[in-house]
Amino acid sequence: MDESSYWNLPSSHLLGSVPAVVNEESEASYGRRGGGVRGYQTLGPPSEGFEQQSQNNWKGVFSISSYTQYFDVDTDVVVNRLISSFYPAGGDFFNKIGANPDLYGLIWITTTLVFMLAAFGNCATYLIQKRTDRTTTWSFDVGYVNAAACGIYGYSLVVPVAFYFLLRYLGSNASLIRFWCMWGYSLSIFIPTAFLLLIPVEILRWIIILVAGTASSCFVTLNLTSYIGGSNDLRMMMIAAFLLQMALAIFIKVWFFP
Amino acid sequence: MSNSHSDTIPLRPSNSQSDIDEIRSLIDDSVHSGPAVVLPARHPATTPPPSSSPFISSNIPPPPPVSSSSSLQKLQSVPAAPPPPPPVGNSSSIVANGFGPPPNTLTEPVLDTVKRDLWRIVSNLKLVVFPNPFREDPGKALRDWDLWGPFFFIVFLGVALSWSASVKKSQVFAVAFALLAAGAVILTLNVLLLGGHIIFFQSLSLLGYCLFPLDVGALICMLKDNVVAKVIIVCLALAWSSWAAYPFMSSAVNPNRKALALYPVLLMYLSVGFLIIAID
Repeated sequence: MDESSYWNLPSSHLLGSVPAVVNEESEASYGRRGGGVRGYQTLGPPSEGFEQQSQNNWKGVFSISSYTQYFDVDTDVVVNRLISSFYPAGGDFFNKIGANPDLYGLIWITTTLVFMLAAFGNCATYLIQKRTDRTTTWSFDVGYVNAAACGIYGYSLVVPVAFYFLLRYLGSNASLIRFWCMWGYSLSIFIPTAFLLLIPVEILRWIIILVAGTASSCFVTLNLTSYIGGSNDLRMMMIAAFLLQMALAIFIKVWFFP
Repeated sequence: MSNSHSDTIPLRPSNSQSDIDEIRSLIDDSVHSGPAVVLPARHPATTPPPSSSPFISSNIPPPPPVSSSSSLQKLQSVPAAPPPPPPVGNSSSIVANGFGPPPNTLTEPVLDTVKRDLWRIVSNLKLVVFPNPFREDPGKALRDWDLWGPFFFIVFLGVALSWSASVKKSQVFAVAFALLAAGAVILTLNVLLLGGHIIFFQSLSLLGYCLFPLDVGALICMLKDNVVAKVIIVCLALAWSSWAAYPFMSSAVNPNRKALALYPVLLMYLSVGFLIIAID
């Protein structure tokens, strides 16, 4: 009754704005209520959300309204985040996300990348073969679509989960949604890269993919470092993140643009 | 006391079947004559059933002789008075009947059902793919959605693509079908997650109907094998599909998020277009 009287006050929209910094501990305390509802960004009625969460944690899994909070972005916000992911220097991506991480970037950047790799991979393979052997004809290998989908979706879903669990186990604060968001935006640099890799000069392709891979890996590593705090124990994590992103870049080059 | 007694006496002998008939006939009459006409209450026995079916006619009591002349007048006025229903009106009169399984469509010949569904597909196609800015009811295609049309178009596109492929035909069909079917579902979910207002099956239906230009493009590309011609045809078909899908998608979301909702639609049609060009 006390709680509901607080929530029904007309100033309840101010409740989430008292602390100036998004704090992981307080977020974890909200998470204890079943996750999914954060006091800092509730625009809807918070009382219903809390009651619902306390009754049954699974009730929100199958309803769309519990996921709309992860898509609460406008076009200019998405474009802003996209452009900032092209410049690896300055590990402030997590500050830029703030209290509003979005999964829109992850889903559609990975999907665009899958399509680009399948399409341009086929074109580039044809072009390179044409240079060495004049008589090759165009053939579309549908297996590229499968490989691209498995590779890109698998990487972007599994690696942040692995890092999340590892970092939680080692005691530091981690948020899965933010990791997904960051890794998703880090893949955006490969989209123009896939277009540039059409150039059928082998040495140029390797230079392009190494530059893009380094930029993407630096983006991931710098942001991860600034988010976690950069202690010596976690340095292995940073190096692992860097190497994984470079491995993805090399896999893209080797499999789709041989 | 007598007042309360008369309140409880029904005005006419009621049995459940005649009540259902009365309500059904009221609905049919209101559909046939349009929403502006308010019909007088009818005796259930005087209204003819919409089509002859055995179990309704056997339950109607014989019309009392007093109202037989009025029933004749009403019978004559029903065909003359209402305006001719629109072509889809035939299907909507059956669709509007919501009480139990409609006996009309269960006992009608299969050809009638098929013709009715085909007619609905054609009319939805005309409304969605050839949008006429001056049409009187822009929301009609949304209300009369169906999933047969999209199903035909998706399967046709998959078959056309796998026909043109020289290797891995079954994989090509699988990729095309999965891309289109899952893509339509994911696009609808995307709009819903962005906070838009769209009804799930309406959106699936619309996205499926907007594939029609790409179907035509794929058919032409199957027949003609020149790469440049293919690119031009597919670009035209792509532009037409996107132009058809644009008003529905953009009006469903907040204007700040219009590009976020439209970009995946463009991506899906672009990937299908690329498949059409690239499959040889």
